[in-house]
Amino acid sequence: MSTVLEALRMVAAPDVVLAILLSSIYGLVVGCLPGLSATMATALLVPVTFYLSPIAAIATIISASAMAIFSGDIPGTLLRIPGTPASAAYTDEAYAMTRKGRPELALGICLWFSAIGGIAGTISLVAMAPLLAEIAFSFSTYEYFWLGIMGLMCATLVARSSPVKAIASMLLGLLISCVGMENPGGVPRFTFGLTDLLGGIEAVPALVGAFAVSEVMRALLQPEPPKLAHRRFGSILAGQIALTKQYWKQMTRGNVIGIIIGVLPGAGADMAAWVSYAMAKKFSKEPQKFGTGHPEGLVEAGASNNASLASGWVPSLLFGIPGDTITAIAIGVLYMKGLNPGPTLFTERASSMYALYIIFLIANIIMIPLGIMMIRGTSHVMRAPRAAIMPVVLVCAAVGSFATGNNLSAVLIVAAFGIIGYVLEANGYPVAGMVLGIVMGSMVEQSFVTSLIKSDGSILPFFDRPVSAILAAMTFAALLWPVAIWLWGRPKAAKRAQPA
Amino acid sequence: MLLSDRVTGGAVAALGAAAAYVGAQLPPVPGQEVGPAAFPTLIGLLLILCGGLIAFGVGRSFEDEAEAAVEESEVAHGAPHAAPPTPLRSLKAALPPALLLFYVLAVDRLGFVPTTFLMIVAMVFAFGGRWRLALALGTIGPVAVHLVFYKLLRVPLPAGLLPMPWS
Repeated sequence: MSTVLEALRMVAAPDVVLAILLSSIYGLVVGCLPGLSATMATALLVPVTFYLSPIAAIATIISASAMAIFSGDIPGTLLRIPGTPASAAYTDEAYAMTRKGRPELALGICLWFSAIGGIAGTISLVAMAPLLAEIAFSFSTYEYFWLGIMGLMCATLVARSSPVKAIASMLLGLLISCVGMENPGGVPRFTFGLTDLLGGIEAVPALVGAFAVSEVMRALLQPEPPKLAHRRFGSILAGQIALTKQYWKQMTRGNVIGIIIGVLPGAGADMAAWVSYAMAKKFSKEPQKFGTGHPEGLVEAGASNNASLASGWVPSLLFGIPGDTITAIAIGVLYMKGLNPGPTLFTERASSMYALYIIFLIANIIMIPLGIMMIRGTSHVMRAPRAAIMPVVLVCAAVGSFATGNNLSAVLIVAAFGIIGYVLEANGYPVAGMVLGIVMGSMVEQSFVTSLIKSDGSILPFFDRPVSAILAAMTFAALLWPVAIWLWGRPKAAKRAQPA
Repeated sequence: MLLSDRVTGGAVAALGAAAAYVGAQLPPVPGQEVGPAAFPTLIGLLLILCGGLIAFGVGRSFEDEAEAAVEESEVAHGAPHAAPPTPLRSLKAALPPALLLFYVLAVDRLGFVPTTFLMIVAMVFAFGGRWRLALALGTIGPVAVHLVFYKLLRVPLPAGLLPMPWS
């Protein structure tokens, strides 16, 4: 009990309260701007968290990302431009509702079920993390190696692109993580004689470059999105209780699927939303109504993506393996603040963990009033032209990355990764895989090399320990899944190609 | 699509070959079989494999499906269609990294506020904004960012030609 009180005291500190409030508003505004994703919002916040207390830093990341995931639904609903990739799955459905003249109902569903999903995810985090921590104590480097690889493989499955290209871009990220002296031999690798590269390529500037700068570059070549007509909304929450009663089954299923996908390393909110929307359609009694402005799919997918956001912290906190790109950033912040991920976090820093749960709950509760304010003010925010937003994003990318180490070479890394991210994305290589590769590279290499040294170069122990074997099987399943889909789809495609 | 799969796949394979070659020559840790060379060499070999598969078009069908789905929904909803990028227009995308390079070269001499003023003005024009917006944003933006990062977060931003009253 005393740890809970201690945690409450930590959260009630003025700097933490202020951090939650300001980063919530920031997350809502950035998430709602088309083209600025939740990941980008979080990446640009990291330099600011350097200068905050540990709890305030984590509060910043949690509230900004939760708000941005909800807020991404707003431009999706009103303009059919998803604010974040996690909203893309049900954008058409929400927009169809707007065209039927019921945007407030669509936005209300997104807000209400996002908040419920977030709370369900938090409860799962509270319940699962300590249990899994017990199991995680028995994990050796073999298990950590497979967990890392499985996370990377899941990330390639989520990408809606060629799986081979997704794997290639993930390998590229692993290769980038090899740069520097942080390796088993302590020798400089791939530094090309540059002292700036001896410390390796920092993840934060790479993230900012790949997510923020490349986004600005892409925006330069795309036409300005259409302007939003000013409109007054009716009551946002009206009818939500009735919908909750009517669709409680869908909501619960969405929450559960979101939680499960969030816990899987490497798969996050985007995948949760796609899977849940498809699930809602498959099990619906009225699947023909989907895509015409039917609330069922919105309820399930909205409940799912926010649930996965909270449960995505489970692998991050326990193993240091990110559930998605947002928690990949969060892990960097955790290390920086001395809260190194691992099972011991739950025994030694229990009060910090309780504080984290409380922040999650607060963020999802204040999401409702703040979200309503955001929806009402959204036409003002979205009237800002890109010419006013993108230049500021670029300057923030430069200053923010400089602030990570007061070193100008970080700004060069941002520029380089902007180009790399842009070129990769333009050619169908998903950037998220590369970023996860960079973040997890040294952990994967360390567990790989340590395991091989322990086993005298034999690869047998990678497979004959029980948990190892299960994780290995799951990894290979993720690898072979696309092959199965391809083999299964081939006869159909051939049939289609032949003239009837 | 910017480049053909043959080109990008070939580039991936070449990168993998270089990584495997350089990686394999890293000095081992005395007395141990597995050292710093193992991981980069393995990654390099896998990259060669992936690059080869991409160059021969394996996995291409997944992309076609995703693209078809996107196009279908765009057509159905009458979304604005981007003008086909000409080589000259695509060059515009190089502006943000070029401005970051300019920042690195100029910030110590010009100072933070003048450098970012120029960056913002250039970006506003690149997005088709007007003079008034460029001047207003270029004046307020850098000063506000400087105030937050220098004063609140204590990041040592160079003063250069135009020191701020709080620096």
